[in-house]
Amino acid sequence: MSAEPVIDREALIRAEDLWRTYQMGAEEIHALQGVTFTVDRGEYVAIMGPSGSGKSTLMNLVGCLDTPTRGTYVLHGKTVSRMDDDELAAIRNREIGFVFQTFNLLPRASALHNVELPLVYAGMPRDERLATARRALEMVDLGTRIGHKPNELSGGQRQRVAIARALVMQPSILLADEPTGNLDSATGEDIMRLFGKLHEDRHTIIIVTHERDVAEHAHRVIHLRDGRIESDEKKP
Amino acid sequence: MPFLEAVRVAVSSLRANKLRSFLTVLGILIGVSSVIAVVAITEGLDRYMSDRVLQLGGKSFNLQKMPDIITSREQWLEMNKRKKIERDDVEYVRRGCDACAEVGAMVPHSGHAKYGRTTQNSLQVMGITENYSRIGSLRDLFAGRHLVQADIDAARPVAVIGYDLVEAFFPGGIEPIGKQILIDQYPVRVVGVAEKKGAVFGQSQDNFAWIPISTFEKFYSARRSINISVEARSMKLFETAQDQARVAMRVRRHADFGAPDDFSIETGQSVMDLWQSATRGIYVVTIVVTAISLLVGGIVVMNIMLVSVTERVREIGVRKALGARRRDIMRQFLVESVILAVFGGGLGIIGAAVFSTALGAVLGGIMSADFSAPVRPWAVAVAVGVSTAVGLVAGLYPASRAAALDPVEALRSE
Repeated sequence: MSAEPVIDREALIRAEDLWRTYQMGAEEIHALQGVTFTVDRGEYVAIMGPSGSGKSTLMNLVGCLDTPTRGTYVLHGKTVSRMDDDELAAIRNREIGFVFQTFNLLPRASALHNVELPLVYAGMPRDERLATARRALEMVDLGTRIGHKPNELSGGQRQRVAIARALVMQPSILLADEPTGNLDSATGEDIMRLFGKLHEDRHTIIIVTHERDVAEHAHRVIHLRDGRIESDEKKP
Repeated sequence: MPFLEAVRVAVSSLRANKLRSFLTVLGILIGVSSVIAVVAITEGLDRYMSDRVLQLGGKSFNLQKMPDIITSREQWLEMNKRKKIERDDVEYVRRGCDACAEVGAMVPHSGHAKYGRTTQNSLQVMGITENYSRIGSLRDLFAGRHLVQADIDAARPVAVIGYDLVEAFFPGGIEPIGKQILIDQYPVRVVGVAEKKGAVFGQSQDNFAWIPISTFEKFYSARRSINISVEARSMKLFETAQDQARVAMRVRRHADFGAPDDFSIETGQSVMDLWQSATRGIYVVTIVVTAISLLVGGIVVMNIMLVSVTERVREIGVRKALGARRRDIMRQFLVESVILAVFGGGLGIIGAAVFSTALGAVLGGIMSADFSAPVRPWAVAVAVGVSTAVGLVAGLYPASRAAALDPVEALRSE
């Protein structure tokens, strides 16, 4: 295990020898077995792998939803792998923008209230919150739908709201888990174009997927198998 | 998460499930409602009692052999051994008490009266001195005249009757004055009719007949103990008058210094005291019932909150993923629980107001009195305070369960 991290201005994510072990009765299950990689600011990465490869586990670690059993994870200069609950929550709030396959919007809240949620937890005052949330929705071309509830929006629009929510705190990384999994192919393409645009705007994007078409959009693909990195290839 | 936000989220969540929210708070509603209503009604009854008691006369008292309120057979046997009070004692007290404006006497008997074929039962026959009608709550005349000293000196068979007898014997405007009625087989002539006073707690106050005390002794023998009735000169002298009467009586009885009185002095106070102790009992029972229903109500709220948490596990996972800390989730569900409980308390206050107004109207009808039972502001404050506390305690366990959820697990659920 490393001691204090070397401050590397380029590497946004530095993962070193990550292990994640679960205790299932008498057995130990190793979901991740010594994963090491770095991600620089502005990269567009896809993490691929079959089910059981550990890609969900890795995503949870990268997203600070979980801590590794062994190994170090440094995000934006902070050693996340040592943090407690409250610190992790703060990191998630400020540094991570989640986009889920099933959107995970609050069903009874308007698009605007959904997007402002991270700002609420950050303690931003009301007026500033509403203005910031509105801007985020405009960025994803939903400025006219801010009062709509999720059940009044199409699948593609819901995912856009989710993306606006992910962007609203200006996080270090956008972390998307099968973002087009619940969308038809046309809408899926739409969303991937949006991700492309966000990448051009210098956002760091990590997409976890098992679909090759989706991974094609990224500039770097990390393949996982049985809890280890099988390959890590940048597009030319 | 700031407090106001938590309140908004809680309210929206409760409104999404209106029927469930209402059923959940039923226990709290009943507990709060019952305690407020009982307090309001008891206060109304207290006022009714003291109004009525005041009618008995704020500055009169009785000096009698038996106390008004006897609480055991042993006590009755003891009291019954006392010497009876006689007519001569009246003059003695009169001379010994200069704070007393009027000293009179009354001796009661429960009998019946007859006129023609009609019989009036449970008649309160009272042998009185001439000044009796001026002592205590004044009874004016509806018709005729009061008994006079000459009636008593001559032991005339005359009577002043209560209004119930007029309604029984002389309905429809028949003139009662001068008629001859039978009181317990003794013929008496009606010389006066007392004004109607109505009923107290269902007991008619107009079913009586006043006859001269001397006549009474002729009819029923002189062996009974009489009640001396005293009117003090003023409210200020009320205590003094009682003291003087007591001293006079003790001297008459040659009572030893330090020995207890062998007679009783009764004011309206003793009735009030008995009433107070009865209402104490009611308060205690009410507190117990309320505590139980609040406990049950709290358990119900806790259970529903647990269900709510289980339903929203994924939502909690999402909130945590977006940056909610344990205390944010904790606060969110505690606020929801408190709002739920206070909502129940609020409904309870409304329920109490409706209930005590309705009951007050019914009781007022039965007792023919103005019976308003207002809901006091302190009761409202207590209701809100108590339901907040119940909400907090009930919500503690579900809220901490929610806060402790692992975000990864939570996101996976459903």
